Amino acid sequence: MTISLNYIFKRIILALCVIVGIVVFSYVLILATPGDPAVKWAGNPRGPGATRAVQLAREELGLDKPIYVQVAIFMYNFFTGNLGFSIAYKGLPVVQAIITSFMSTFELTLIAYIISVPIALYLGLYSALKRGGIFDSIIQPASVVLASTPTYWLATLLLLAFTISKISVYGTASPRLIAETEFNTITGSYLLDSILQGNVRVFVDSLLRMIPPALAISVYPIGALTRLVRVLVAESLLEDYVKASIALGVERGIIIRHFVVRSIIPSLVQISGLSFTYSLIDAMVVESIFGRRGLGSLLISALNTADFKIAITLIAFIAIFYIIVNTLVDILQAIIDPRVRL
Amino acid sequence: MIRRSFIILRRSLRKIRFKIGIVISLVAIFLAILAPYIVPRPQEGLGYVPRDVEARRLLPPSIEHIFGTDSLGRDLFSRVIMGTRTALLQVFIVITISFLLGLLLGAIAAYLRGLVEVLLNYFTEIFMAMPTIVIALVLRLTLGHGIHVTISSLIMTWWAWYARIAYVYARGVVELDYVILARLAGLHSLKILHRHIVPNIIQPLIAQAITDLGSVLLEAAAINFLGLGVQPGYPEWGVILYESVFYGGGVEVFTQAPWLIVFPGVFLLLVTLGFSLIGDCLREEIDPRLRRRWRLWF
Amino acid sequence: MVLAIVMENLKVGYIIEDEVFWAVKGVDLVVEEGTTLCIIGESGCGKSTLASAITGILPPYALTDGKLKLFDHVVINGQLRNYNGIRGKITAYIPQNPGTSLNPFLTVEEHFYYVLRSNFKSDREFSKKIAMEILPKVNLDSSVLEKYPHELSGGMQQRVIIALALATNAQILVADEPTSFIDAHLRLQIIELLGRLQREFKKTLIVITHDLLTTSTICDYIAIMYAGKIMEVGPREKVLRNPRHPYTKMLLETTPILGVKKRLKPIPGEPPSLGKEYQACLFLDRCPYKSKECYSDPQIQVIENSHFSKCWKALEAPWL
Ligand SMILES: Nc1ncnc2c1ncn2[C@@H]1O[C@H](COP(=O)(O)OP(=O)(O)OP(=O)(O)O)[C@@H](O)[C@H]1O
Ligand SMILES: [Mg+2]
Repeated sequence: MTISLNYIFKRIILALCVIVGIVVFSYVLILATPGDPAVKWAGNPRGPGATRAVQLAREELGLDKPIYVQVAIFMYNFFTGNLGFSIAYKGLPVVQAIITSFMSTFELTLIAYIISVPIALYLGLYSALKRGGIFDSIIQPASVVLASTPTYWLATLLLLAFTISKISVYGTASPRLIAETEFNTITGSYLLDSILQGNVRVFVDSLLRMIPPALAISVYPIGALTRLVRVLVAESLLEDYVKASIALGVERGIIIRHFVVRSIIPSLVQISGLSFTYSLIDAMVVESIFGRRGLGSLLISALNTADFKIAITLIAFIAIFYIIVNTLVDILQAIIDPRVRL
Repeated sequence: MIRRSFIILRRSLRKIRFKIGIVISLVAIFLAILAPYIVPRPQEGLGYVPRDVEARRLLPPSIEHIFGTDSLGRDLFSRVIMGTRTALLQVFIVITISFLLGLLLGAIAAYLRGLVEVLLNYFTEIFMAMPTIVIALVLRLTLGHGIHVTISSLIMTWWAWYARIAYVYARGVVELDYVILARLAGLHSLKILHRHIVPNIIQPLIAQAITDLGSVLLEAAAINFLGLGVQPGYPEWGVILYESVFYGGGVEVFTQAPWLIVFPGVFLLLVTLGFSLIGDCLREEIDPRLRRRWRLWF
Repeated sequence: MVLAIVMENLKVGYIIEDEVFWAVKGVDLVVEEGTTLCIIGESGCGKSTLASAITGILPPYALTDGKLKLFDHVVINGQLRNYNGIRGKITAYIPQNPGTSLNPFLTVEEHFYYVLRSNFKSDREFSKKIAMEILPKVNLDSSVLEKYPHELSGGMQQRVIIALALATNAQILVADEPTSFIDAHLRLQIIELLGRLQREFKKTLIVITHDLLTTSTICDYIAIMYAGKIMEVGPREKVLRNPRHPYTKMLLETTPILGVKKRLKPIPGEPPSLGKEYQACLFLDRCPYKSKECYSDPQIQVIENSHFSKCWKALEAPWL
């Protein structure tokens, strides 16, 4: 089957327009908030070097130039990754600080989704098929409770439980192990890095430490997606083609596997993509509870050092990630669904 | 429309889930209003540290302190109950403003079409992508502490969802024959918006708003939990958790005093659950797709 | 003579918000093996419901009463329904809307595979072989096998569905308005195809329609349905030439018949609503020939061999 590139092309152009808008908005946010943007851009410096830092920031921002030139310069800098250095991460380039932190958060969220999507599919499917039965009447309220549980609270409880039972889950990996095996971060994703370095011990350690925070993060998608799957399955069971195939004597198992499950996958993919980006935010909060490296801890240190640069770039970065995921998921959905003639 | 809402309400009331949701919400409203009169130490609930701090630090739950005390000797029960008021206030303000803004902008965009429509869709797209907590970080850095940081950063992202939903429904209504006719007949635009468009899109929008109450509550608490919103000591559940997790000495403290984590979290969970149950049942009644009955019958 | 379908006072209703709406209100009908029966009636008179009852796709909230026998399987007995070994083995269903009745995620070949695997435990290759044998019979070539339903035209989709129904080897085929979603010029083609296949494979064919013109060309018997009951049933020629129910007569007057010039008359009035119970003849309100006796439910009148009518005046037939 050929997918016409037209749709994909349009979708990408649209996404690019929105991304440009996001970057412009981030810049406007600096200008619109009270206070001297140069002072803010320099990160509210204090002490002897302050005037010089503000002066540098003013030049860097080009605040004397007309506003559209300023926007253009900012955009140019943003997309070339030339954003100066972060205060929060002690002189690390902003882009590097954000990307390594992002990789770590992304990895955690991904693990949470690898846990939660199959569980949600299973629970939603069976509660829909056994509607009104015991399983359904347990799963239905349980999924509401799961979707309403504050992730960060659950994470705290988990940390509490592990700390009381003297199992160390704090941090991304055991510092002793890192020192012993001479592990160093490359991408920021510990799993990936340990594979790249062939470091089995760090891999296992960081995977195990990931489980409790990932569980906390996966509670929301399990609840929300279970309910989604239940509705989708119910709808799909009422489709004409399901009815027609029942009348032709197609077995129940085949109908469920190849008719029902297959028909809900495009919607499931789309909604999972959408909720993935929310869970990324959840992951940021959970991370900071478990003392893991990531966007969450970056956010906290940006708060403590009043690092505006990080804050603004982070907004643009996460928003762009959101747009990219949604665009990809839309395109993916179109590719899976043979009906969509693009 | 009012009649239909009434029918929906009556049907929902048959469900146990809905009743539980209503009871939880009513209790929450009741606590929010009467909190200062029922808690034993309203002053401590508002964050004032008692004089005998040392003697009362981290006391476990007892008859005198039902939920125990925190690391500054404040009565946790008073703080948590007083927190109900903040919780509901935040949620109410955020949802009301986002709802009205979204309804208005969405309806206008669908009605006027053209450039307005394109621009609005563009902006909703951008704002829907914005990460609330990072916006909160920027506002916190510029505006300092306060509940206004929590509220305004939430509104900044939530309005776009309502604008989107209102726009989608309004688009459907604008193309109905009688609206086109009303327009051709020269009826005043404001009148058309008020009489035909808004009544037709408000019901699903309200159901959505009720469903979102829980999410907004959780997000607001998350912002405060990261120390981006209100100041420590403020009667708010997220910030109570923040104090025990990040502020009051970290892991060592809250392993000794788990009640500091359990009670505010349970309240947060229960109120969110109450809102979700109500929103859920209403949506089931409004959306006919959710109302169909099926059973595995083959 | 083997009876393929026997209905005794069959009733089917739907439970909607705790109320029962009877869509089929007591049908007595017998269909011989190897014949074609046409069921004709206005929209909403319960034709599809009857078809669903035969093919086993009544929704779970349907309620039944009376008796339905397919060959020697009792399928409906009062409230009990048992379709084990019926669907795809004895009955096959040809739905109304071919566009939504094929799974959009599966190719035609996969459709054949799943149907044949369920009914005969056949593997992929064997089912492909069978499909290749059947497709020419519905005037399709085997290139459709790799296609997805949306890549086929409406007529082709309908023929794929007919081929699937043939592949099941079911003896009874029920086609629910097989032509209503197809372009007018293709209708006759599909109907003739059905008729030819019925003769070739000696199937028992039930065709549901409100399109008397094309459909009547292939059927042996015609049943006229009105408001959930069969008003008249009999051999095609007898019913068309010699209608013994005023409703049949009026229905024929609304239908153009090929080669006959006449004025088309609409039937005045509305059919009775489903929720209520009626003691009188259901057609009472719209009947121009009504009299006293019509206020009691008409008994079945035997006109002659296998021609029956549910009208008190069937024998005199003042409308003829
Ligand atoms: N699945 C269903 N649930 C509830 N009511 C139904 C269902 N299917 C049919 N009905 C009702 O039963 C009555 C008979 O419907 P049915 O579909 O059998 O009529 P029909 O003769 O096939 O009409 P048409 O020619 O329009 O297809 C209708 O009034 C319809 O509203
Ligand atoms: Mg029908």
